[in-house]
Amino acid sequence: MSKFYRYLNQPEGANTKPNQDSDEGVRVSRRGFLIGAAGAGFTLAFFRAGLSFAQPEEVVNEGTFEPTIWYHIEPDGRIVVNIAEAEMGQHVGTALARIVADELEADWSMVELNHVDSDPKWGLMVTGGSWSVWENFTPLSQAGAAGRKALIEEGARLLDVRPDQCEARNSQVIAGDQSISYGAIVSRGDLTRTYTADDLKQMPIKPATQRRLIGRESRALDIPDKTDGASRYGLDAKVEGMVYGRPLIPPTRYGATINSIDDSDAKSVKGYQQTIVLDDPTDTVPGWAVVIADSFHAANKAAAKVKVDWAAGDTADVSEQDILDHGVNLIESLDKGSIMFPDDGVDEAFNSAADVFEQDYITHTVLHVQMEPVNALAYEKDGVWEIHTGNQWQSLIIPVLAKALGVKEDKVVMRTYMLGGGFGRRLNGDYAVPAALASQKLGKPVKLVFTREDDTRFDSPRSASYQRMRMAFDQNSKPTGMEHHATAGWPTEVMAPFFMPKGANDEPYDPFSIQGAAHWYSVGPHRVRAISNDLANATFRPGWLRSVGSGWVNFALESFMDEAARHAKKDPIEFRLELLKAEGKNAGEAPNSVGGASRQANVLRRVRELSGWGQDLPEDTGLGVATSYGQERNMPTWTACVARVHVNRDTGHVKLEKLTLVTDAGTVVHPDGARAQVEGAALWGASMALHEGTRYEKGEPVDRNLDTYTPMRIRDIPEMELEFVESTEVPVGLGEPATTVTGPAIANAIHSAIGVRIREIPITPTAVLNALQT
Amino acid sequence: MATEFELNGQAVTVDIESDTPLLWALRDDLDLTGTKYGCGIGMCGACTVLVNGRAIRSCITPVEAVSGASITTIEGLHPEGNHPLQKAWVETQTPQCGYCQSGQIMQAAAMLKDFPDPTDDQINHAMGGNLCRCMAYVRIRKAIKMAAEEMNARDNTAQETGAAADE
Amino acid sequence: MFKKILGGLLAFGVLVLAIFLLIAWESSIEPVSASNSDAFSKEQINRGEVLAGLGNCETCHTTDPNKPLAGGRAMPTPFGTLYSTNITPDPKTGIGQWSEEAFARAMREGVARSGSHLFPAFPYTHFTKMSDDDISDLYAYIMSQPAIQAEPPENTLEFPFNIRLLLAGWKLLFFDEGRYETDTSKSDVWNRGAYIAEGAGHCSACHTPRNALGAEDAGKAWDGAIINNWYAPALNASNPTPSSWTETEAYEYLRNGGSRFHGVAVGSMADVVHDGLKQAPDNDLRSLAVWLSDLAQASDEQQASKRSANAIRAVHNTQNPSVMMDEGERLFTYACAACHYNEADSPSALRPDMALNSAISAPTPINLIRVTLNGVSLKEGLPEAMMPGFSQALSDRQITSLLTYLRATHTDQPAWENLEQHVRDQRPQTQAQ
Ligand code: FES
Ligand code: FES
Repeated sequence: MSKFYRYLNQPEGANTKPNQDSDEGVRVSRRGFLIGAAGAGFTLAFFRAGLSFAQPEEVVNEGTFEPTIWYHIEPDGRIVVNIAEAEMGQHVGTALARIVADELEADWSMVELNHVDSDPKWGLMVTGGSWSVWENFTPLSQAGAAGRKALIEEGARLLDVRPDQCEARNSQVIAGDQSISYGAIVSRGDLTRTYTADDLKQMPIKPATQRRLIGRESRALDIPDKTDGASRYGLDAKVEGMVYGRPLIPPTRYGATINSIDDSDAKSVKGYQQTIVLDDPTDTVPGWAVVIADSFHAANKAAAKVKVDWAAGDTADVSEQDILDHGVNLIESLDKGSIMFPDDGVDEAFNSAADVFEQDYITHTVLHVQMEPVNALAYEKDGVWEIHTGNQWQSLIIPVLAKALGVKEDKVVMRTYMLGGGFGRRLNGDYAVPAALASQKLGKPVKLVFTREDDTRFDSPRSASYQRMRMAFDQNSKPTGMEHHATAGWPTEVMAPFFMPKGANDEPYDPFSIQGAAHWYSVGPHRVRAISNDLANATFRPGWLRSVGSGWVNFALESFMDEAARHAKKDPIEFRLELLKAEGKNAGEAPNSVGGASRQANVLRRVRELSGWGQDLPEDTGLGVATSYGQERNMPTWTACVARVHVNRDTGHVKLEKLTLVTDAGTVVHPDGARAQVEGAALWGASMALHEGTRYEKGEPVDRNLDTYTPMRIRDIPEMELEFVESTEVPVGLGEPATTVTGPAIANAIHSAIGVRIREIPITPTAVLNALQT
Repeated sequence: MATEFELNGQAVTVDIESDTPLLWALRDDLDLTGTKYGCGIGMCGACTVLVNGRAIRSCITPVEAVSGASITTIEGLHPEGNHPLQKAWVETQTPQCGYCQSGQIMQAAAMLKDFPDPTDDQINHAMGGNLCRCMAYVRIRKAIKMAAEEMNARDNTAQETGAAADE
Repeated sequence: MFKKILGGLLAFGVLVLAIFLLIAWESSIEPVSASNSDAFSKEQINRGEVLAGLGNCETCHTTDPNKPLAGGRAMPTPFGTLYSTNITPDPKTGIGQWSEEAFARAMREGVARSGSHLFPAFPYTHFTKMSDDDISDLYAYIMSQPAIQAEPPENTLEFPFNIRLLLAGWKLLFFDEGRYETDTSKSDVWNRGAYIAEGAGHCSACHTPRNALGAEDAGKAWDGAIINNWYAPALNASNPTPSSWTETEAYEYLRNGGSRFHGVAVGSMADVVHDGLKQAPDNDLRSLAVWLSDLAQASDEQQASKRSANAIRAVHNTQNPSVMMDEGERLFTYACAACHYNEADSPSALRPDMALNSAISAPTPINLIRVTLNGVSLKEGLPEAMMPGFSQALSDRQITSLLTYLRATHTDQPAWENLEQHVRDQRPQTQAQ
């Protein structure tokens, strides 16, 4: 979530820039480093700011060191890197460990990861927010270098040579033809050291040319455990004496109250204990009850027999259509919303236009359906609340948990487990609240398990969106101005309003819900208006979902660019290329967006070549293009995609045959991992365009499980051709950008296959048939 | 009610309600959490285990139904986690979040018995019940083919040397 | 004049009744003290055991597996519920007092030792064809089983069906006493098969529809029928599955419980295969297979596999290349295909192919619904494989969509009518079991 974290500090367009000490990153800063004997080996760790220079041994033994990242060298030479980050498929632990190991000159095969999720002695180690490889590159490198320095010094002593005669390589300290392994140094020498923050700052870091691990192919260390069942996910958490809970979720997200509960039928279920009503001072789970039983099976069976009479909240009748209709009203109320993009002259451009082209686009609700339904185990131990779960953003939910439990924040500890899929769902830790409340009420550890149906009802979905796009043209069909009005439920407004920057009209906006609209096309004066759909916000808790707003914003933008091209009677790629001029505000700036629009033009040209654009295709088969800069103007991942589809005119079925993607993400740190990210992200985008999407009816999503909510399966996977632009520019993110292009590329391909325009995702066979008929 | 069966080669008895899904018996009563819960209705494959060598969705299989049977879970597929499928999964770096992968691997193991040299079509059908929300499908397919190749090569060698293929 | 006619009719009626009673009346046979099992040779008992299996005695006469043959199994009929009797050698509640003569009379004439008529739920209409030796061996076996004291519940037949005497009239209409007659135009093997099937095996008791009075409808012999809420498919050429019962497939099915071209034995047929036929020698099963494939007018093996392959291929060709599928196809893809998909040329019995399965081409959806809801246990079908039931996973509507899809795409048969109602009806029944 590097990009996410960056945004929390510096949202796009924000007027105020937080202080940044980019050398040292955000979390690991101004701290010393220590090496102390612990158990059989040595622990290497940052120690907390503000502590006096204690004996390393004491710090280690008391665990009072900075636990963000530390490592331990065993006498047998194994290097165990402790990872407190949420692992959800991005192999973050491997990336962190490789930074350390590279500087440490470690033998990679001796490096192991330890996800320190559940050992209480490490105290508050996992309470931090998301942080990234990018931001912590320097401190982690320094931590590795400090270890290397100590090992060389100690190795030299044991070899009876001077440190400057030695070099470290492959977990060995080598001096001429002598060498000693790290394991031997650890078992025979004394590595105990401390380094002040200033020492660390002086610590020499290898030049990039000498890197031996970073940038090379490698295997993710978390993967073997994911092939033999050893990985521990939140659902696998267990503690002595726990009972199982299954939530009874009210018919509306907010404002529901329980009139009465009748559990007389449930009493016949063996193992059923009781049904408790939650009293939630934070209003995270209003109107909830939890069925408590000896086993999950019993809780499940009993839940079916407990009758709850709810007084529903105000949104009990809200439908998807209501939300979209409300969106249209908002768009048509010109005083609503935040002007994200403050170009002057937009109105003039439209008033003096020879021709104005306008279209509306709709995207429907998308559910996360991460494979592991949310769950949490909560209990109190020695006055501290332990929350065991998979979570992406602990610091967001811990204050809520503390308030719910009526305790101080330092009395709540989250133990992070592997995430059975995140995709943004677990940024919002709301599911931990009912577990904690239930445990408090019962005075026992409660493991709250959501069934898939519970999970989808309680999801923080990607909100439905309604967007209106306008373009002004001159006599020569050249764009002279553009407007983009977008409305959707806003996750950041609902869950983290303090992160909302203000727009040109001083109204706050959710950056995540409008990123992508600030495109690199030179179209003359440009207005982007972002409007929060308050009906959506009231009906459900909108969520951050892989690429968030760029998912819907780019669907509209890139569909519209295609339509505008055809309107101007131009080839869609040619039309875009003419607008991608690295001039003025689109020239790009160092370090992150060097080259600006020219790099986007470059990926677009390259995808044109690769995909065979312009070739003759079989009947009802077509190519469609889309391009984006990922989602952030100040950290662009240049992406272009061509989709090939075949459409069956009789059934309306769209078969996605091929995706060609070209990505310029600067330096590709880990090529195979980069491919994996783009593969997954591109398919996510395609899945949302063709296979997913749900609707709200009566205040709830109609699809509750995988029988009707139908993400892509293996048989749906198109042929894929991926290419990365060779580059030495700053590495940027890869997890999300491809998500933003596949949807519009598919819609555009449908148009070129059968000549009909679909302006709504998911694209259903019915919609295709209807479009064919009109 | 007590139900007896063989689990990864060992006789086990669970004394739980006989309609408890095998999934929860494995996870919560027998402490084998490698088998995952994704949907509970047989639509995602995360809970796939082998019953007498054949893939079954354990979330909809009551524990009483496997009384006397022999069950293999991901933990028991290979003593060191080195089944050709597991090796291929690592080789291709298939898992992302990994949550679906126990089920994918167990389903693939069953499939390879019926389709030892699987075509894309066979993979599409036999693996169509296994959802991977991380969309690691490209690699799942690659890994299956890689494992099949290894297993077939091994079988052939075994045949040539006249030795029995070691399972 | 009118009175005269009436009087005449009345007199005629009385006469008929008198004759009827004469015919209907059967004497009781003297009780014997429980026979000593030493009286029978081991070989005879063993032979009897095989026969008991072929006749599937235990399935009907057992409720509690720990009390074999002690009776009490409910048999719902359109006329009320019958309970099978205790046929262990218990003198008080079983048939311990029955001489071999009494036993043979029951088997062949449907008359109890006491002289009362037996309901034809006990298939003496078939057993009558059994040879003297076989009856005697069967007697030996049954009399050497442990005596168990157990009184089955009272039958709950409605008037007038509870009058046993009336059965004499039923027999007049529907029962031909007599041994099996060899068909000299057929081989010995065929005749052996026919003897088993028509005699001890009483196959048509399930596979032939019955008339209003509960007798097998000779005009519809082997056309398939619903029994105990299962559909026993047609065994003759009218069976609409793509490939008919060749000798090989029939043998495989009877021996192991499944055929790659047809499916697996579930419900009562699973009992027949896995309990009844378990002890039967291979020769007997091969004979049955020969007879069955003749009855089905089966094509040769090559043709059968070709037809199966074509059927599977036809389905593959109709499959939707896109996943934006209808509900039924989608459910099949997600929940079923992993186990049921086959290559056209090599369907596996362990992966029952829905293009070939008799449950899908059957005139009634009962079997398919029941299997979908409740699965196939390890005791049914092929012993290696089981299928979980989807009763908790799928709604009535979803099962309806799934089955509609299968019927429409995997057979050339017309759609089942009122399918969703059938699903709804099956749910409580099958769940109660
Ligand atoms: S959990 Fe069993 S198939 Fe999804
Ligand atoms: S790897 Fe995450 S669901 Fe498959």
